[in-house]
This record gives sequence, structure tokens and C-alpha cells, in this order.
Amino acid sequence: MGSKVATASNPSASLGSETIVSARPRRVALSKEEHRRLAHGRNARRELTAWGFLGPMFLFFCVFLVIPTVGVVWWSMQSGGMVTGSTFVGLNNFITLPDEVTAGAAIANTLTFALMSIPPALILALLIAMVLARVKHGGAVYRFLVYLPVLVPGVVAALIWIFLTNIDFGLFNTVLQVVGLPHQVWLSVGNALPVLAALDVWRNVGYWTIFFYAAVIGLPEELFQAAALDGANALRRFRHLTLPLLRPMIMFAIIIATIWGLQIFDTPLILTDGGPGTATTTVILQVWRYALSASGQVGLAAAISLALLVAILALTAVQLRLLRGRGGT
Amino acid sequence: MSAPTAARRRDIPQAVASRRRRGELNARLEQVFGHLILILVAITLSAPFFYVITTSLKDSGSLFHYPPQWLPIPPYLGNYQKLIFDSGFPRWMANTLFVASAVTTLKIFLDSMAGYALAKLEFRGKRVVFGLMLGLLMVPIGVLLVPLWSVARQLGILDTYWGLILPPLANPLGVFLMRQFILGLPKDLENAARLDGVSEFGIYWRIILPLLKPGLVVLAVVIFTDQYMSFIWPLVSTTSNDMQVLTVGVASLRAKGGVDFGLWSAAAVMSMVPIAIFFFALQRQFLARSLAGALKQ
Repeated sequence: MGSKVATASNPSASLGSETIVSARPRRVALSKEEHRRLAHGRNARRELTAWGFLGPMFLFFCVFLVIPTVGVVWWSMQSGGMVTGSTFVGLNNFITLPDEVTAGAAIANTLTFALMSIPPALILALLIAMVLARVKHGGAVYRFLVYLPVLVPGVVAALIWIFLTNIDFGLFNTVLQVVGLPHQVWLSVGNALPVLAALDVWRNVGYWTIFFYAAVIGLPEELFQAAALDGANALRRFRHLTLPLLRPMIMFAIIIATIWGLQIFDTPLILTDGGPGTATTTVILQVWRYALSASGQVGLAAAISLALLVAILALTAVQLRLLRGRGGT
Repeated sequence: MSAPTAARRRDIPQAVASRRRRGELNARLEQVFGHLILILVAITLSAPFFYVITTSLKDSGSLFHYPPQWLPIPPYLGNYQKLIFDSGFPRWMANTLFVASAVTTLKIFLDSMAGYALAKLEFRGKRVVFGLMLGLLMVPIGVLLVPLWSVARQLGILDTYWGLILPPLANPLGVFLMRQFILGLPKDLENAARLDGVSEFGIYWRIILPLLKPGLVVLAVVIFTDQYMSFIWPLVSTTSNDMQVLTVGVASLRAKGGVDFGLWSAAAVMSMVPIAIFFFALQRQFLARSLAGALKQ
């Protein structure tokens, strides 16, 4: 509706008025100026209405997301504290960052954590979803129970895992004792990061299970019946039908899970406080420490944030490209 | 070529019958097997809950008993008493519920209005806004800690409810959700209203919003849960005890030093109560939360 007015307001050639005459005889009476004025007023009102709807949300979006995103770049070139005042140091922070032992450990730990937690969570979720989609009764109860850990705040989850991993009375060691195996020190240098990964699998497997479950029950039934009639067994149906059909969903899950995994903060803070040593110090945990440190390393905090920000933006870009590809076909 | 086809055709009824018989047995086995797997999964995932609940009902002495007491009889309620009367817990919970409700209410209107603009209205800069929101969709608060803190300080909202409520409003996920829902609504009513000369706001308020209710409930669940669980921004932006939200308060129990397993486990259990109640009431919408990501594209 609006666009028609816009074309009418733009009679670039005499041909334009001809077409308008045939299409809307009523409007012939208007002169060119009147046309433009009316269309302009209408356009302005339309813009104003649209921004009236969008504006309030967009304001918060700009102040608390766009400006801080740009701000990360600015702060990454500062040195000093947030309150005490800072000075411009150019790219200095990026030069000192690789020498910071904890920063290097934080990046390595975060990547290792992502690698240890995401594949098991997604594979388990897909398998559980497949089973869940085929079970005829009681599906709602299972879905409920599987999803329950998703609703536990990270801080509380970490608190619960403090009990589970306790050396003397924790659930894990109690189970080992019942089976007849020796006690383990779960939060040792070598074990702490895998335990954090396990915690994350526990918390997230339900989320992705429901995600895949919805995808699986949305698949076209006829294809599977046809494949079964052709003698394809369950494994081959999974390999050659389910997996290819779910590919977009799986890619989506991998990217989103990675973006989330790279932000891990609350569970290492509560469960291990980044330790022992730097064994479970993650990027955001280190950002938080730099930002709060008395020595005013706010620039370092921003510099290491920027690295993570770039990674997340790149992953988002890949994600959008994949989605657009799916929409195009 | 015709001969083998004919032969095969003759075999079909028999083959189908035997396959069906085999199929029925297989199907039943598959069901049993499936339930076994799911029961195992459910037990593994729920065991920590069971464990923390029983721990919260023990006094610190009986915690170290061997063999372990699976069910403390009689249950010891001292931990809960201490949590409710001797810690900041009620205040933390009230803060969390207040902040999460405020963010949810504001965001439902802001996001549905912005979603309406992106779905139904034409305006200059639409593509830029859309692209910017998509691009920053996944940027978490954790990455923005330093600049966000500095912005909040300049606005003078650090350590206030405003400081907890306003920054989460920036998240654009809800806008895309709402846009997607609005694009899926039938257009007849809206077109009729437009012909009758109803204003855009009238169309939004009286036609779109009522139709959007199922979508709004999903959005509310998504936002409320995220707020309930949010930790890093409240941790950084608040300093006074009175402003602590649940997650920050629970974390402070741990940070204060000293070990009080009874109190911690009671805190863990009580923290899960409200969200568990919501989950019971709105199970469908909660599960749709998993799909919120898939809906936008």
C-alpha cells in the first residue's frame, strides 16, 4: 500500500502519468507538487509510526549492547582502572596479553572445556531424543525429568556438585565405594576440568534433547516407512535418513552450544574458583578477575574479552550464513 | 524383466505377513528397551537432586555416617530454619523475583512492539536495524563486562534495581521471536482493521497482541528463566547486601569461607523451588524454550 504511493510520487517520465491515469483515474487531478507533498507527509508519518514501535527497544539495544560492544574495542586500548581513570596505550595490552600465564591458561582451558563438554552433550541428546521419539507411553514424564537440570541456575548447580564431588561423603565416591573402587579426588588438577565438563553435560543435555526431539518428530514419516519397506535397518535409516535430514539442526546446535560453552563462568567460579592453580580458570573468569583487580588491569580484561567477542561474532556469522543457505534452497 | 517381477509380486503377501509378525515382536522389544534406556537416563540426571535434598535434611554430624543414610529419618529441618531466619535468603529471593518479573513484563511489550515494526511496517533503516540485531544476537553480557559497567556507572544505575533491570532489555532474541510469531498470524483481521482506518497502534494493541498470546507466554518463560538464572551482571553491578539477587547471594554463601554443607544444600533446594513450580505449571512453554532458537531464522 505504502510502496504504491511511493512510486506514484516519483513520476520520473511522462510515461508515469499515463500509467497512473489508467490505474487510478481519480488521482489525475493532483499536480506533481501535491503528489509529492502528500506522499512525503505520508512517508514521514509512516517512518514515525515504525520508529515509535521500534524505538523503545532499540534505545536499550543501543545503550546496553551496541555501545558496550564498540566499547570493548576502546577499553582494550586503555590501561588503568575503571574508577581510577585510564590512559590510552594503543595495542600494548595485546602485546602483554600473550605473556600473561593465566590469560593463556584461561583460553586453553576454555577451548578444552568446550571440546570436552559439547560433543558428549549433543551426541547424548540426539540419542536420547531418538529413543524419546519412539517410545509410545510416558514420554511427557521422561521429558520432564530430562529437562529438570536445565532449570538449575549455574551457581546452584555448582553448589550441588560440591556435594557430589566431596571426597568423604560425595555421591560419586559413595558410588565408587559401593562398586568397590578406590576414592577419587574429583577436583584435582587433572580431574577438575573434566568434572566441570560433566557438570555442563548434566545441565545441558536436557535442553538439546528437547531441541532434537522436536526436530525428530517433525521429520516426514513416509520417508522412514518407505526406507523400512525397502529393507533398510534402523542403523541405516539413522545414518542415511535421520542424520542428513537433521543436519541443519545439528549444525545449529553445535554453533550455539559452542557460543555458550565459551562463556563458561559461574560453575568454575563456585566449584573450583578457577583452581587448583589455573586448572579451571576460564576466559570470562579471568575477565572478571582482571576487571576487579586492585592493580587496574581493566585494559587486559577488555583485550581478552575482545578475543572472545570476535570468536562469538564469527560463529554468529557462520550460523547466519548456514541459515540463509537453508532458506535459499 | 517381467518374469522376476511377477515372481516377486506373488511373494509379497507372505513376505509382508512374516515381516509384520517379526515387526510386532521387534516393536515390543524396542519399546521395552527404549524405556530401560530412558529410565537409566532419568535416574542419572535426577540423582543429584535426590542427593542434595537428602543432604539438606541431615544435620552436619550424620553427613559423614558410613554406610550413608539414604533417607534421613527423622528429617532434620535446622538447615532450612537457619536459611530462612538467619541468612539473606528471603531478601535474595524477593530481589530475584522482582527483577525477573520486571524485566519480563517490560520486555514483553518492548519486544512485541519492535517485532511488530520489523514484521509489518516499512521504514528507512529497517535492514540495518535487522542486521545489527542479528549480528549482536549472541553477544553475552560476560564479554561486555567492562564497557557495560562503565556505561551503567555513567548512568548512575550501579547497585540499583534499575541497574539490574535495564541492561537485560537490550537482548534482541525476543524481537526475532515476536517477529516470527507475528509473521505467522492470519492477516484477515488486520487487513480489515486497516481498511476501517484503525491506527497502527490500535491494530497492534487490539488485534496482534491478543492473537500473540501463546507466543507471549513462551517469550515470558524464556526471559523469566534467563533472568532467574542470570549471575554475572548482578554479581558485577551490585555491591550492597540488600541488592543481592538469589544467584549472587547463594554464591556469597560459598565465598564467605567456612563450610556449611547443611546450609548450602538447603539453599540449593530452596533456590529451585520457584522455577520448579513454574515448570510444573507451564511445561509446554518451557519445552518450547528449547525451540526458541530454532524458530528464528
